[in-house]
Amino acid sequence: MGFILFIIIGYANIRAEESSKNGIIGFEKMTVTTNQIITNYLDDEQHLCDIWADYINSSAKDGTPMSAEDVMAFIRKASISSEIEGHLIFLDSPERAGLSTTAKVSDPDVYTVSYKKIDIFDNIENVVDSTDVVNLTRAYTNPMNGVQSIAFYNFVTVLDEDDGELKDALLMRVVPLSSLEQKLVFLKGEYENVEISLVDRDGNYVIHGRSFKNSNFFEYYKSYNAASAGEYEHVTREIAGGTGTMTIRNHKGEDCILSYTPLKTMTTWILLAYIPASDLVANRSIDWLLLAIATFGFMILLIFNSIVFMTYNRKLAEAAQQANEANEAKSNFLSTMSHDIRTPMNAILGLNEMILRDSDDDNIRMYSENIKTAGSTLLGIINDILDFSKIEAGKMEIINVDYSSASLLNDLVNMVQKKADDKGLSFNLDIDRNIPSILNGDEIRIKQIIINILSNAVKYTKEGSITFSAQAHKPEDKPGAVMIRVSVADTGIGIKPEDLDKLFVAFERIEEKKNRNIEGTGLGMTIVQRFLGMMGSHLEVESEYGRGSVFSFELEQKVVKWDPIGDFEEAFRRSLSERINYREKFTAPDARVLVVDDTPVNLTVFVNLLKQTGIRIDTAESGDEGISLFRNKPYDVIFLDHMMPDKDGIETLQEMKSIKDAPNASVPVICLTANAISGMREMYTNAGFDDYLTKPIDAERLELMLLEYLPGDKVTPVSDDNDDTDDYVLPDLLYGIKEIDVESGLNYCGDGESYVMTLGMYSASAEKKAEEIENYRAAGDIKNATVKIHALKSASRAIGALELGEFAAKLEKAGNSGDIETLDKELGELLSRYRQLASDLEPLNETE
Amino acid sequence: MKKTMRTILPLSLAFMLLLQGCAGGKKADVPFTPKYDKDTEFSLTVAGSYGNFESLEAEFERFYEYYPNANLQYVTMDDYNNVISSALAGSEPPDIFMTNGAMIGNEMYDDMFEACEVLSDPSSGIDYSCIRDSLIRTTDSGDVVMLPIFTTSYGMLVNLDIFEKEGLKVPTDFKEFKDVCAKLKSAGYDSPVMGTDRFSGSGLFNCFVYPMFAYDVINNSDKVDSLNNLEPSAGELMRPALERLDEFVNSDCIDVAKCQEEITDEYDSVIMRFFEGDVPMMLAAGDVVSGTAKRESKSDAFSAHPFKYGFFAAPAGDEGGYFINSISVCFSVNKNSRNLDMTNEFMRFLISGKELRNMASLKRLIAPVDDFSSDEMYSALAGIPDKRSFSDKETGLLDPAVRQFRAAIYAVGNGQMSVDEAVAAYGSIPEE
Repeated sequence: MGFILFIIIGYANIRAEESSKNGIIGFEKMTVTTNQIITNYLDDEQHLCDIWADYINSSAKDGTPMSAEDVMAFIRKASISSEIEGHLIFLDSPERAGLSTTAKVSDPDVYTVSYKKIDIFDNIENVVDSTDVVNLTRAYTNPMNGVQSIAFYNFVTVLDEDDGELKDALLMRVVPLSSLEQKLVFLKGEYENVEISLVDRDGNYVIHGRSFKNSNFFEYYKSYNAASAGEYEHVTREIAGGTGTMTIRNHKGEDCILSYTPLKTMTTWILLAYIPASDLVANRSIDWLLLAIATFGFMILLIFNSIVFMTYNRKLAEAAQQANEANEAKSNFLSTMSHDIRTPMNAILGLNEMILRDSDDDNIRMYSENIKTAGSTLLGIINDILDFSKIEAGKMEIINVDYSSASLLNDLVNMVQKKADDKGLSFNLDIDRNIPSILNGDEIRIKQIIINILSNAVKYTKEGSITFSAQAHKPEDKPGAVMIRVSVADTGIGIKPEDLDKLFVAFERIEEKKNRNIEGTGLGMTIVQRFLGMMGSHLEVESEYGRGSVFSFELEQKVVKWDPIGDFEEAFRRSLSERINYREKFTAPDARVLVVDDTPVNLTVFVNLLKQTGIRIDTAESGDEGISLFRNKPYDVIFLDHMMPDKDGIETLQEMKSIKDAPNASVPVICLTANAISGMREMYTNAGFDDYLTKPIDAERLELMLLEYLPGDKVTPVSDDNDDTDDYVLPDLLYGIKEIDVESGLNYCGDGESYVMTLGMYSASAEKKAEEIENYRAAGDIKNATVKIHALKSASRAIGALELGEFAAKLEKAGNSGDIETLDKELGELLSRYRQLASDLEPLNETE
Repeated sequence: MKKTMRTILPLSLAFMLLLQGCAGGKKADVPFTPKYDKDTEFSLTVAGSYGNFESLEAEFERFYEYYPNANLQYVTMDDYNNVISSALAGSEPPDIFMTNGAMIGNEMYDDMFEACEVLSDPSSGIDYSCIRDSLIRTTDSGDVVMLPIFTTSYGMLVNLDIFEKEGLKVPTDFKEFKDVCAKLKSAGYDSPVMGTDRFSGSGLFNCFVYPMFAYDVINNSDKVDSLNNLEPSAGELMRPALERLDEFVNSDCIDVAKCQEEITDEYDSVIMRFFEGDVPMMLAAGDVVSGTAKRESKSDAFSAHPFKYGFFAAPAGDEGGYFINSISVCFSVNKNSRNLDMTNEFMRFLISGKELRNMASLKRLIAPVDDFSSDEMYSALAGIPDKRSFSDKETGLLDPAVRQFRAAIYAVGNGQMSVDEAVAAYGSIPEE
């Protein structure tokens, strides 16, 4: 738009300049035309004067010279205009005196005329007596009538009646200057303000235009134009030299166009035409009008386009906003969903583990095993989705920590070995014994990458083997690092070359129809590739369709300890053997464990998971309560939840450690956490914990951890021929409480007895919990109020109060997002329902 | 009589006027208020003898601010004094025309005066009270038909740089004058004083002694009538001035022949010769001074070596010089003007302290209002005591008497008559 306007303005200016030039050229032509008109006029008048002179002179030649009176009489007859006078001046008269055809207006009796004081005859001696030349005076005041006039003249011979001699005289045809000016009336149409002057070569006015000041044009120019001597010289030379046009300043400081040309018949006289420049450039208004119209049109177009673009932009912005919101909602949904699924999965897998332990029925055990497998798969899928949503949101970070390479490999093999065994696949290891023992990197993500690759290999291999290889070599240019090359080779279905590109596309699954029975989200390889990219590596794939594939990558890891891990395969085989032994149940009735968690249901699950071990377990629902028990009772192991209101796990631990006279000064403390990310071990170790256990709590891991930390003399391995059955009868009142789903509650809690006990605890602690929530809110402590609502959500779901749990979840979300209005509006109803449920369950405690 | 006009330092008077407007009992300047519709279209012609009249044209421009559609033109008339009467009776008569005090009483101008509007008639609407009373001329019947636009004086242009260079002070009385001239002569200046040897008022003899003669006339007012009647016995009153002139021309102060040779007219030549830079003192009238500004750039010598100069009273008297204020130019209105109302409107605009001062300043002449002119050129006149400052009108001399005096000094100055002869021939001394 600006460019177009620039072009238009440039064009208009060019046109205006052309118009201006044309105007000046036209004006100059007008001057030449005027010159011709004046010349014609002067020629005509001179010709008439010459006719008079010829007649008078021919009379003299013929021997009948005319006297002065005769001449006057002749001219009076010959002249048809009363404005035109004839003056006859005797050249021998010192007074330049003579006769006039008309009397002096101030004295009708006087016909004599004198030019003594009228300086117009300076060059009279040089005047040529010729009919071809115009002999013209400057403009002067006619002494007979005081009118500004010009005079054409010629020489005549007349008879002096006094002495009868012939005398030379000057015959003048005196014409009012206004007669000449009338010839220029035609100019007024086109050039209203034009003024015409005639000057001689020295600039003296012959005919003086009204606007010209001074008595000399050059003097006028000098007075009103700041010209240097050189410029002044140039101007005088130009004007005296020929035809042309120039711009000068007039006495008002206005630019004026001056056109000049020498008279054709009197080249010593110069015609000057002068007009204000603004009169000539008036024609520019046409171009400016055109420009204004064009500009206006473009402005309208610009505004229209702007409106259209703004409308589209607004829609696009709205669409983008909606897309962002949808994406955010999707991410939030995935994240929330994953988290919310993980929480009940804790109960499912935990309780299922108890079924596996407690049930002797093979069918039930088989079902339970399937639940465990499906649950594990589901947990993996959820974890993938959670990771992917974090990667998409840019929230995924690589956190490097020191880790044990043997431990990492051990975990990997442990997790895959069983799957491979279950499918009858041979799981081969090729581990370089020179891999440094302690490396620095993101242990969790590396483990996740390799598990994904190994799991895929197992999933897509029907028969044959899986070979897991890890080789190390030192890069030459980085002395403190080692390159670990990991490869997984399988004898599976392989990938078609044309499908290789799909491998790393999110949610894209290769040959989906063929592989529909294989679980997966299509995210695994995408996440692997993203993680490797974040670590400066990439996944390489070699595959032969129908024969198998090799997935490999190379990672640079900083080396903390160069000690080689040695023969990992041998170590693994040994640990496997030990692990099989661990499958035997153990009892530790003399052992005493303290577990602190603000969620009662979690406490219940924890207690039930260890119920068969006979371990005496004390529970505490807050840090302070835990500290109180810590002071008074000796324990063998303490489990401490990290996230608790008021006093979190770390604060509680610090306080416990500060108590010098407690019986538990050297007791190991394990942190319970849901944060399964790299660096956790380091963080908790630094905080003073001896170890950590992730939630949902894996029963096997819990048992292994207890075997590690409990005193060996208190642990007794037991056989698994336990025939306990759950013959507990649920109270009838439970089935009359609409707020709870008994079946769900039983599933969460494992058996009827545990369920009733959990319900009792739920009821007994309700009033206290509700008051805590109210107190936190009243104090403006939204954070702790939300933590408590979170606990209420978990507890309610655990006892089968699903709707109440959802209600609490809604308010928890409101609290986390700072939506105080929703929180305040609906908190009362939540607590009311909570108290009502507790009240309905109150008989359970009375029964006890 | 002697004190009807005060010669006050222009700058101090200008200050007074700022406070008081037209001083001395005159009305303060009243801003011009147009009487007619500003869109009125009209044309006026002002005729005069000046070859150009830029200061008047400047007033035209100022007048256009009130009447933008007006068209005023100044026309130079050849042989003005002889032609003006015919012009007024002709087909293109001017609306306003130049006049001067010398025209009063001259039959030649009877027709011209016949055509003049009586400006003292209240119907003209022209208030000329800001003009000094001593400059207002009336006809025999007491009518005011002309109003002074510029006034002039007689004295000398002094090249101040020469005086500074020679370590001299500008002389204030005749004795000092002679001493200075002698020193200048010895310093190489052949003619320390120069001027144009003409019969006119601008002639060097007139500029030197006419103020002295006028002073004597004022002090012998009882003999004015005899002088005006051209009685030969009245010629005796010329004697002191003629003797002073005779002494002057026969001193080392001036080389009259040199003046005649080198100064060929009474205007341009006077100025251009002065600008040559080697003339310490140039006798001249104020009208000549008015042409100096424009001619500075025309003089190659002055352009190459500019110098400071000023106008001083000629120190002809033993006590000092005399300052006589004479009318230079008057304006009269053609009562037969085709546009008399607008002509009077322009006169009403022009005849005000403000506009007259503007014109005088541009023209380098002396304004007819009380503060003369603010031009520094005339600042030296402020030092002349009141008793030796007067107006031309105060002499009571008529033009014929003045012309006889000029004839006498022209004859004596050029050695054509002795002082005694001139005194004796008063009333019949050949004029130009």
